[in-house]
Amino acid sequence: MSDTTPEYRGAGHHGGTMDTVRKGLAKRKRKQMILQGFGIAAIGFALTVLFILLASLFSTGYQAFTQTHVELDVFVDPQEIPEENLPRGGFRDVLSDSLGQYFPESDMTDRAEARVLSSILSNGAQFTLRDMIVEDPSLIGQTISLKVATSDPYDQLNKGLIDRDTPEDFRRLKDEEIQNFDTLSELGLISKPLNTGLLTNADSRFPELAGLKGALVGSFWVLLTCFVISFPLGIGAAIYLEEFAPKNKVSDFIEVNINNLAAVPSVVFGLLALAVFIGWFGMPRSAPFVGGLTLALMTMPTIIIATRASLKAVPPSIREAALGVGASKHQVVFQHVLPLAMPGILTGTIIGLAQALGETAPLLLIGMNAFITSAASSPFDSATALPTQIFIWADSPERGFVSRTSAAILVLLGFLITMNAIAIFLRQRFQRKW
Amino acid sequence: MSDKHIVSGFDRDLAAIETSVAQIGAMARDALRDAITACLERDRDLAAQVKTGDHALDRLEADTRLATIKLIALRAPSAVDLRFVLAVLEICAHLERCGDYAKNIAKRSTELGPHAQLAGTDRALLRMSQSVGQMLGDALAAFLDRDVDKARAVIASDLETDHSYNSLFRGLLTYMMEDPRNITAGMHLHFVAKHLERIGDRATGIAEQVIYLVTGELPDDDRPKADLTTPPAPSAG
Amino acid sequence: MYDAPNPATNVDQQDIKITAKGVQVYYGETHAIKDVDVNIVDRAVTSFIGPSGCGKSTFLRCLNRMNDTIDICRVEGDIRIDGDDIYDKRVDPVQLRAKVGMVFQKPNPFPKSIYDNVAYGPRIHGLAKNKADLDVIVERALRRGAIWDEVKDRLDAPGTGLSGGQQQRLCIARAVATEPEVLLMDEPCSALDPIATAQVEELIDELRRDYTVVIVTHSMQQAARVSQKTAFFHLGDLVEYGETDQIFTNPKDERTERYVTGRIG
Repeated sequence: MSDTTPEYRGAGHHGGTMDTVRKGLAKRKRKQMILQGFGIAAIGFALTVLFILLASLFSTGYQAFTQTHVELDVFVDPQEIPEENLPRGGFRDVLSDSLGQYFPESDMTDRAEARVLSSILSNGAQFTLRDMIVEDPSLIGQTISLKVATSDPYDQLNKGLIDRDTPEDFRRLKDEEIQNFDTLSELGLISKPLNTGLLTNADSRFPELAGLKGALVGSFWVLLTCFVISFPLGIGAAIYLEEFAPKNKVSDFIEVNINNLAAVPSVVFGLLALAVFIGWFGMPRSAPFVGGLTLALMTMPTIIIATRASLKAVPPSIREAALGVGASKHQVVFQHVLPLAMPGILTGTIIGLAQALGETAPLLLIGMNAFITSAASSPFDSATALPTQIFIWADSPERGFVSRTSAAILVLLGFLITMNAIAIFLRQRFQRKW
Repeated sequence: MSDKHIVSGFDRDLAAIETSVAQIGAMARDALRDAITACLERDRDLAAQVKTGDHALDRLEADTRLATIKLIALRAPSAVDLRFVLAVLEICAHLERCGDYAKNIAKRSTELGPHAQLAGTDRALLRMSQSVGQMLGDALAAFLDRDVDKARAVIASDLETDHSYNSLFRGLLTYMMEDPRNITAGMHLHFVAKHLERIGDRATGIAEQVIYLVTGELPDDDRPKADLTTPPAPSAG
Repeated sequence: MYDAPNPATNVDQQDIKITAKGVQVYYGETHAIKDVDVNIVDRAVTSFIGPSGCGKSTFLRCLNRMNDTIDICRVEGDIRIDGDDIYDKRVDPVQLRAKVGMVFQKPNPFPKSIYDNVAYGPRIHGLAKNKADLDVIVERALRRGAIWDEVKDRLDAPGTGLSGGQQQRLCIARAVATEPEVLLMDEPCSALDPIATAQVEELIDELRRDYTVVIVTHSMQQAARVSQKTAFFHLGDLVEYGETDQIFTNPKDERTERYVTGRIG
């Protein structure tokens, strides 16, 4: 009161502070900008890589979603295919004969010429015809319209993957073969419908016939086994560790080991499964059940960690409330904590299963990369899974498998995205409401 | 105050205190009436009764004061509730003093004893005591009704009490100058008149507390005063 | 006040509900409660006040053995309710907690319907023979919790959708649904606004008729407003225990004086 000078000085000092702050401000802003720039650059890089990956997959894979077909009027000659001999018969000859009718100038009795012509049709065409006739023998003697896949080179040609300008010697199809295809094309017999076979056929040596059914069914059995085993075991272990186990050195040790287990390379689990499940217990090779068991070992730590985190996230006030009205420990856990933690647990489980779905190495080690042309009807049949199927196809020399590999990867990605979307949905839907 | 507190115990405590104040006020008014009667009629029994009655009044006043303190300590009153308890503390003090004045008046009945009555003063005193009693009653009613207008009227009517006191003072002075034997009685009666005048002031004080309680403002101190006997008195020397 | 004795001031004649003698509580190496003796009267509100970490909540949690759920917590001494040692080996804490209800700092209704919140205790203890019984119990508890009128038309609505004050009264209703004799409240109003606080305090004042209420509070004013007896804890010691108005107008111990006047934290 008596002296106003300090107040005045204070104001001056205040101004000085502002100057200092202002000087520093530019520097701070610059740092912030740099940090933001790094963040944007990182995200940009990640998005670019992702885009390149997807773009390359789509550009090579989209071709596999269509398949060139040829539509033929086939006379089912009773001499070639007598009813009493079914399912045997000269299906291949019937097909080449019917093909011959579109090429009046060619001589179908010349075996070499006939072979060149028939090469347009997929090797599987005769089996398609056989299956039709076995199904309905009354077709014998009739002329039926049959739509069959062309073989891979003609499919490639139709999709523009074989360049007609390439010198004949370096081309998979000779001029004559291209000529034959063009004749059919001009007659309007060639079509390129959606390739449903990709999902409904099992694997095949012929790319035009190969599909993912076996792999999808195999993956389904693998995941089912994995879920049935890892979900209850994982939740049980997590509940015990989180809610009941005494907190001491032993439980700390177990916790550290579970966390370590989650980081063990998957190939190690594969070796373990090979040695223990197949070697000691004598379980069948290539069986989805064994694959599921192996993946369950891998998924369990993920589920345990996710479950424990979800249980921890349930506010202590809910536990206290239940204890306060006289609930016992297990009532608290099973009637209050677990239901509230469920969305988190399910999210963790789905993410764990999605990981398992994409896992390849352990399945390769237990032989789930076998060539199997029919879908498994039980978890104990031999089967492949989606990732191993991709592995097999990627390894195949036929040109047609290149686009199919990409297509299979897209299918796998589709499943993964769907599963993650479900996880996100669950998390949103059952957002904590306390 | 018509709205209830969420905590009903608070309302109960406030109501209890208010009832106590009303009770003390009634006791003070009764004491005043009895004291004047005892004084004018030389009624020693009644005088003794007033004296014992004052003990009861003091006790009740102390209890009320304690209850008010407890209420402040336990309920942390604020705003109108705070003004209420503060007003109650003041009003209690005023009423307790009123009781003391009444006791003092009653005491003088024994002193007055055999002395001749001074013609006319009795009636003047009685009238004055009645108007002071009325002021006290009105002030208490204003408190119980939170009636500011009535409180203002009480403050205004104090002027009249002052006038009555002035005329009594002059009258008694005349009697005492006429005959020195009147001095003892005159002095006692003068004290009675002075006490009555003080009770009037106390009633005014209560009325001021009512205004504070309702409006939150203490009335200015420049209320009309007509007590001409103090310092600039015309013939006090 | 003078002709009708105020129940708030006449707790001395009342019965003792809880007796604690030589209670010691240890959290690991920490000695949290040091030799506390206290007698808590029946049908009255007793408040525990004291600075943070003074042990008041810890002591409260001894009364329904909530401390049992903490591994490192050790309780010694003798605590009796109606003369029965609650730390006796034969006493099941689950049973004890039905008799000694608890209300917590943060309103913590279960994320279930209002009805299920209140019905939960009676259900797990098997207090209702059928649905009609349970309906009666729930209504009575909600009425006791002074929230019936506000929720009677939406018993199926989630309890978490109520306002903070309503939630806390719901929690009180949930606690009284199991017909306890003692109600423990651990800072029941610290998360509430002043109006909700006043409503809960009014409720506590009513509950006093039927229950022995023990309340821990950070607010000295709340202790003053709602309780008849007050115990002041400091650093694990029970420093002073007496009539609330005496504690707040004329405390005997210097530490109490310094605390209630805001001179020590």
